[in-house]
Amino acid sequence: MNKLRQTMLVALAVLLAAVFLLPLIWMLSTSLKNDFEALAGQMNFIPKKPTLDNYIQGLNGDLMNVPIMRWIMNSLSVGMIGTAIVLLIDSMAAYALARLSDMPFRKTLFSMFIASLMIPGVLTFLPMYMEFNGLGLINTYAALVLPYTAGAFGVFLLYQFFISFPKEIEEAARIDGANKWQIYARILLPASVSIMVTLGIFTFMGIYNDFVWPLYATTSPEMRTITAGIALMSQGSYTQAYGKLMAMTTIATLPVLIIFIAGQRSFVKAITQSAVK
Amino acid sequence: MKTTWKSRLSSSLFALPYTLCFAAFMLFPIGYGIYISLHDFELLSQEHPFVGLSNYIAIFTSGTYENALFFNGLWVTIQFVLFSVPLLILVGLGIALLVNALPRRIRGLFRTFYFMPYAISASVMAVIWLMMFDTNAGFLNSMLQQLGIASIPWLTDTPWVWISLIATTLWWTIGFNMIIFINALNEVPEDYYEAASIDGANAWSKFRHITLPSIRPVMLFVMITSTIASFNIYAQPFLLTRGGPGDTTRVLLMNVLDHAFIRKEVGSASAMAIMMALIIMVISVVQYRLTYGRKEGN
Repeated sequence: MNKLRQTMLVALAVLLAAVFLLPLIWMLSTSLKNDFEALAGQMNFIPKKPTLDNYIQGLNGDLMNVPIMRWIMNSLSVGMIGTAIVLLIDSMAAYALARLSDMPFRKTLFSMFIASLMIPGVLTFLPMYMEFNGLGLINTYAALVLPYTAGAFGVFLLYQFFISFPKEIEEAARIDGANKWQIYARILLPASVSIMVTLGIFTFMGIYNDFVWPLYATTSPEMRTITAGIALMSQGSYTQAYGKLMAMTTIATLPVLIIFIAGQRSFVKAITQSAVK
Repeated sequence: MKTTWKSRLSSSLFALPYTLCFAAFMLFPIGYGIYISLHDFELLSQEHPFVGLSNYIAIFTSGTYENALFFNGLWVTIQFVLFSVPLLILVGLGIALLVNALPRRIRGLFRTFYFMPYAISASVMAVIWLMMFDTNAGFLNSMLQQLGIASIPWLTDTPWVWISLIATTLWWTIGFNMIIFINALNEVPEDYYEAASIDGANAWSKFRHITLPSIRPVMLFVMITSTIASFNIYAQPFLLTRGGPGDTTRVLLMNVLDHAFIRKEVGSASAMAIMMALIIMVISVVQYRLTYGRKEGN
């Protein structure tokens, strides 16, 4: 009886997995079809005439005449630069808030940062656009990076880690004559590699996958991120060029999917940390 | 520790870079948004005269364009929230229970399968589902055809548009709730279940009397985050149904952004954005109070 129940549960899990994975497999399969076959309306997962044309055109930059490689590079650079900045400034701030008790306005600042986690993005979206517009920074890399540096999640996550870090190690270093910067750079940072990786993956995926802000914050084809670019393609004249569109989305998804699967443990940790507030 | 001004200065310097970013891209936009909402802020015009609360008054005066735009969008959004949030919670919990009931060595694998769509960006998600839902060449209608069932207008007719939007939302985001629930389920102490087994409790009563009360705070977290996420819905209707058929799925955020960027009425759109943010925050607080207030009452 127990055996039967177990088998039925596994069967249910497999069925559900098929539902979840089918759209992704279909994306991959369609990307290997020519446009004619992609539009034929058949359910063949293995293309009759498999072709890499869609990918070759993509890598050559003449897939639908859009600079898809440029978009990927934009997304990757913006994601990496943004993540680097977030890791640096968040860890410094979290160190000061958690360990440097003589910092003025420490409690006030901390409460403000935590309170900002409650602010819905819609509140800052339009004024942020007007701010960047006023500074003449719309359609620049600055506009694609800077808004993500204000998020308090990283400060909160690292604060929790630093506050529980043993005081004795820090004290010993201080007695040996280490200053604050040395304690931060040589003791706390090396000790927080794993939590920094967690925050890094979380931040990178957030920036790489964001789509509404880059859609409005960029105006010329060469500044688009891959998510904004794909959104525009899907609404444009190539709506039904499914083979090409799917090659594009497969290329776009590959970097995050690799990071996601490789760093899943870390990513899960970041999510569950956010729930135990 | 020394508390000389030098030490205080160097301590502050650590927090300075983030604090500046926070001030520039969080505090300033909040204040600037309020300022904009009190002005007639036409995007392309140089003059932005102060108009007091009239942008807000227009939203609440029946018969105005702004009133229709805001409340029609709000109603569509509320419908989406009401349809999606219960499913996001129940299906998320259901999948978490399923994963936890699997043999230990295949749990991680299936967790990854169900979580994978969460790693995909909104636009990729939309393009995939545009293709799945395509009336003529789409995967779903091809499948129905093979079964001898007539094509379904997934993205162009009610009630199918709602079913499509909710199904894609579940597919795309349910992994997040599942992860939260799996984590919560694993933290329920094993001895509670053992004690209940000794008392002869069946699976349902264990779930009802041990699991549910134990994961209650996490339920609240999931309910609040799901409600906020559903309130902010934009990508799915923007890319999949384009608000159609007619304005059936034109959600509030679409109306606010179109008002700002297509009609260029940033002042009025900012007032709407602020009202929308207030509604989201009030709902979060009410959900929090209702859940915790009841607990204290017991």
